Formats: sequence, C-alpha cells, structure tokens
Amino acid sequence: MRQALTRAALVAWLTLLACSQQADEKLPPVSKQGGPLSVYVVNYPLQYFAERIGGEHVEVVLPAPVDIDPAYWSPGPETVAIYQDADLILLNGAGYAGWTQRASLPRAKLVDTSASFSDRSIALQDAVTHGHGPQGDHSHQGTAFTTWLDPTLASEQAQAIAGAFAGARPQHAAVFRAGLAALETDLRVLDARLAKFARSLGDAPILFSHPVYQYLERRYGLNGRSLNWEPDELPDEAMWWELRKLLPTHPARFMLWEAEPLAATRPRLRVLGVRSVVYAPCGNTPAEGDWLEVMLQNASRLESILKATERKSRS
Amino acid sequence: MSGPLYLAWRYLLYHRVKTAILVTSIMLIVFLPVGLNVLVGQSAGELTARAEATPLLVGARGSALELVLSSLYFESDAPETTSYVQVTRMAQSGFAEPIPLYVRFYVRKHPIVGTTLEYFDFRGLRLAAGRRMAVLGECVVGARAAEKLSVAPGDSVVSSPESVFDLAGVYPLKLRVVGVLAASHTPDDLAIFIDLKTAWIIQGFGHGHQDLTRSGADAAVLSRERGRIVANASVVQYNEITQANIDSFHFHGDLAKYPVTAVIAVPHDEKSRVLLMGRYEAPDESQQIVRPSAVMNDLLSTILTVQSYVVAAILMVAVATLATAALVFMLSLRLRRGEIETMIKIGGSRRSVAAVLTSEVVVVLALGVMLAGGLTLVTSRFGSAAIRALLL
Repeated sequence: MRQALTRAALVAWLTLLACSQQADEKLPPVSKQGGPLSVYVVNYPLQYFAERIGGEHVEVVLPAPVDIDPAYWSPGPETVAIYQDADLILLNGAGYAGWTQRASLPRAKLVDTSASFSDRSIALQDAVTHGHGPQGDHSHQGTAFTTWLDPTLASEQAQAIAGAFAGARPQHAAVFRAGLAALETDLRVLDARLAKFARSLGDAPILFSHPVYQYLERRYGLNGRSLNWEPDELPDEAMWWELRKLLPTHPARFMLWEAEPLAATRPRLRVLGVRSVVYAPCGNTPAEGDWLEVMLQNASRLESILKATERKSRS
Repeated sequence: MSGPLYLAWRYLLYHRVKTAILVTSIMLIVFLPVGLNVLVGQSAGELTARAEATPLLVGARGSALELVLSSLYFESDAPETTSYVQVTRMAQSGFAEPIPLYVRFYVRKHPIVGTTLEYFDFRGLRLAAGRRMAVLGECVVGARAAEKLSVAPGDSVVSSPESVFDLAGVYPLKLRVVGVLAASHTPDDLAIFIDLKTAWIIQGFGHGHQDLTRSGADAAVLSRERGRIVANASVVQYNEITQANIDSFHFHGDLAKYPVTAVIAVPHDEKSRVLLMGRYEAPDESQQIVRPSAVMNDLLSTILTVQSYVVAAILMVAVATLATAALVFMLSLRLRRGEIETMIKIGGSRRSVAAVLTSEVVVVLALGVMLAGGLTLVTSRFGSAAIRALLL
C-alpha cells in the first residue's frame, strides 16, 4: 500500500517537473593525494615486495599475528574495518587468504598481484566434491597459493605492486621503478641458484612434507611427491607406513619441510634414507632476516643437502 | 487615511464574511500557479538530483526506466539481471569505477541493496552510528529504515522470503546491524545495505554448512567415495552468519556469472564517459548503458501532456474564480444602489463614490495577493521538507 502511494506520489511530482529539467552531468571529485601510501597486505612476501618497491613512500602493514599462517588467518570485523581504510590492499590471489572472499573490501583498493598469471595457477588435485539440496554436486576445489616460491611469479607479483603504487602516486613512479628493478635483480639471482640446484638434482625424487611447494616444483621441474606431515606434529604409524610404501617407487633422498621438524622425526627419517631440509615458504614475518634472506638460506640448504647426499652416494 | 479609502475599509470590515471569501479566492488563484511553480522548482532539485548525480548505469537490455527506478529509487520491480562480469569488464576498461547493485530482496517493505563499500562514498552517505559492513552477514541500515524497524547497531533484521509457497527457494538470512546511516533525505534512508556477496548468499549462490569431511557429520552423509561426498537433506545449513561459522561459508561456481541488477559507472572524466558509452553501442551488445538524467527527462517528456492538462485546469479555475469575483462585485453594486444614491444625496460626488467602490476592490485584491505572497514564502521555506515527507 505504502509503495503504491509512494509510486503515485513520484509520478505525480514527475508530472509537475516536466518542464523544468535540464540536467548537468556531474562527475565525482578526484581522490586526495599526499603522504605515504597506506598499504595493507595479506602475507609477508607481499609486505617485503611492497617495502622494497615503495621505500619511504609507503607504509606497509600485515595485521596477521606472527605465529599464525596468514593463509588460514581470519581477521575479525574490526580488523577488516582497518583494511577498508587503507589506500591499497595487496592480495596474493590464487585463493590465498580465504577471508578476503568473506569480507567487504573496497574493490577499487584491491590489487590482485597474481592476476597476470591466473591462467597459470595450479589447481589442487585433492578437492572434495559434495552434494546436497537441489543444486546437486559442487566442489570445494582450491588453488595452490604459495606463488612466491617461483621467483618468476614473485617478480610478476612485484610488477603488479609497482604498477599499483605508480597509479596511486604517479609523482613517485621513478622511485617505484628503481625499487622494482633492484628487487627483480635479487629475484633473478635467487632463480639462477635454484635453477642450478635443479639441474644438479636432475630427475632425482624428493619429498615435500606438505603440499605447499607446487610452484617451486613446476618452475624447476622437480620430481616431488607431497605428504601431509606437519613439522610440529609427530607422524603417526599410518603416516610412516604410507611413506615406507611410497619410497620403493619414489626413492627420495631428502624431504623439504616448512619448518624444523620435531627432533624425533628427523632420525627416524634418516633410518629410511631420507634427510630433512627446511625450505621455509616464509608466508609470515620471519623471526630473523627478511624474505630474501630466508629464500637464499633455503637455497643454501638445498645446495648443502645435495652436496651431502652426493658425497654419501660417492662414498 | 483618506476618506474614500476609510469608507471602503469600514465597509469591508462590516461585511467580513463576504470580504474573507473574496480575499481567499483571490489568494488561492494567485498562489496556485506561483506556489506550484516554487514547489516544482524545489521538487525538481529533490527528485532529479539523484539522477543527475548518477553519471551512467549499465544493465541488461530491457526497460531503461525500470533499470533507473530500481537502481536509483529502489522502487521498480527488479529488472532483468546482468552478471558480475560486467563489473570486471568496466573496471578493466579503465574508463570508469564500477559500483554493482543487486536490489531484489526486502526486510519487510525495506529494500535490501547488495553493493560494495564504494556506494557509500559515491552517494556521500555518512554513518550516524556504528561502522560499515565488514564481513558477510552484516548490514548498514538507512536512517528512516532504522527508525521504522526500531533497530540500532547490535540488533538484527531478517530478510523476507520471496514467496511463502516456494519452500525450496530463497530462505531468510538473519543480518546483523553494524551501522545506521545519517539521514540523507533520499531513498537510501529507507534501504538496508549489505555486501554484494551477502546478497548472493540470500539468493542461495553461497552457503555455509557443517564440514562434511569430518567424522561428526556422518549422520548427514549418504556416501563417501574417492573425494566425493553425497549429503542427505539433514545437512545443517546456517541461516545466520556468525564469527563461529563464517569460515564455512563459500560460493560455488564462477563468481563472474553471479547476478547484479545494475552497475553504476563513475567515469574518470568526460572523455572516459563518452568512450565508455561507445563500448555499449555495438548492435550485438547484450547490455545497455543509460544516462539516468536522460531517462528521467524522457519520462518527463512522455508525461508532459498530462502536465499540460493540469496547467489548463488551473487556468480554467483561475478564469472561473476571477469571473465569480467580478460577478460578486457587480451584484454587490446592484444591491448597494440605494446606498450609492444616499451618498450622492448627502453631497458626495460621483467621482468620490467611484473612488470608494474602487478602493474596496483594490483592497480585496491587495489582501489576496499579499496573503498569496505569504503562502508562497512559507512554501519556499518548508516545501522541501514536505516533499521529502511525501516521498520517503
């Protein structure tokens, strides 16, 4: 009833307005500029890239607590509200940080740093399909998201960040270009070291403690198999049995761990002929050093373990 | 006061009722066109400002008027939907900032507007209390809607089912009120704003339910085989999004294909506006782009004939009123023949008598015009508020 009355009133007034309308087009005002860019990110690699590129012209914040994997962190509404007020919000993309799908974030401020290679993202193989209700089956299939483990993809993410910075602060575009160039140089060095390791490794099988190394595996053509072992948990007997079953067909000489495994795990693996090596994805702020240092340490550990296994093979 | 004027004034005072009727008639006949013009000018600002402040609208091909009324006034039936890919397409064009709208559901009679945070900045909407929505399931309520629904931050509202007979259709979702907007005296005051994704959850494109991969969900599972789980009808789906269950909410399929009723395009400049419009001019284009102000003007042009009838009616009434007033004066002269003769017999010249009678007419006209002027001033002062009260 009320709607009908309102509509009738609207039409009545429009009738009376018929002669007096000549609208001028109004465009919204241009956004304000000035001060360092307030940049909020969803993980540490993006924070590192942003700080390298933006320098003093950006203020980069990663609100996730340091003891939590930002990929699975879910901020409360108050923290989301803080994200909303940032100048830019850097997303990793590839399904990383699922909370961003459940949050109200200003679209214009979002920067999907992996958009340029979305067609090259890796779909997870262990998706669960379920069906209920009239809509039939649907899958909760995901995408591998530790994109920065491939330095070439990390470089593309850095380019996206630099582009967003230049768009927001064009007056500092030269600074951002210089920061990007320096970062890309470091990434090329890292890529070269890992490529050299991969050439030395050849087709030798390796193990990944957890399925987070997909992009590393693809970039360097590693012959890897992923388990679902957590470094801070002791594998149960079923997991050991599965490993023993796997090793004859996939005789890996070492296993990459996200963090230092428990003291009891390492010797038991050695008994099976598998050495443990930490390759930290560094999704969150490291206790020491920065992202590049952690990645270079990862590379050093790979080089060391390869030499050690080669020495053992020769002996 | 001169003699003729004094006599005229005393006469009018003595015949109060007749004078009052004549003055009121004159006042109304002057006020109607003038006051109406003032009111029209003010309501023009009230009603078309929103259309003028909305540079462009993109939607599925169909009724442009329905698209504009639905997107600007939340009044029309939901127009044909387009897909979210149009938002991406517009953003990627680099010509305009897109603001999607999905206006389909209601809380009682209040429209639920699924949109993004940019809408608040675009419309210049300020918060009177609380904050903007941050996560799924939260809503921001317009000033009048909050008043009518008696809600404040911390309270909840429930979306209305589309049809009581469609048991398998859209089910109500409990929305948590996190903010109330300050009054803007626009249709936004009556609306309830949610994130676009929350609107899609009401629609049923996204949902949250118990984790079927866990052993505790066995009662709801019909079968598990090689990564495929078939659940029965007892699977618990949530009709409220809380901090405890929000992580279970997910969407199925390609979000780019999800529906929106319109996309507000905010061009970066005039050149971008023209170029963007050009993108939608291809003959095989499935979308339409409209300038709301042009659509509203078209609507006004269409109903111009009706308005001319109103003007003609007012003019006819004016002529009739003036004729009646003239008749009253003429009849009055006839009735007052004896009085006029008496004035002449006691020494009054014909000129003086004519001056007295003319003064009476002039005073009546002057009073009528002055009162009409006063009413016009009152209209210009309070007209806007009256229009808002009428429309909102």
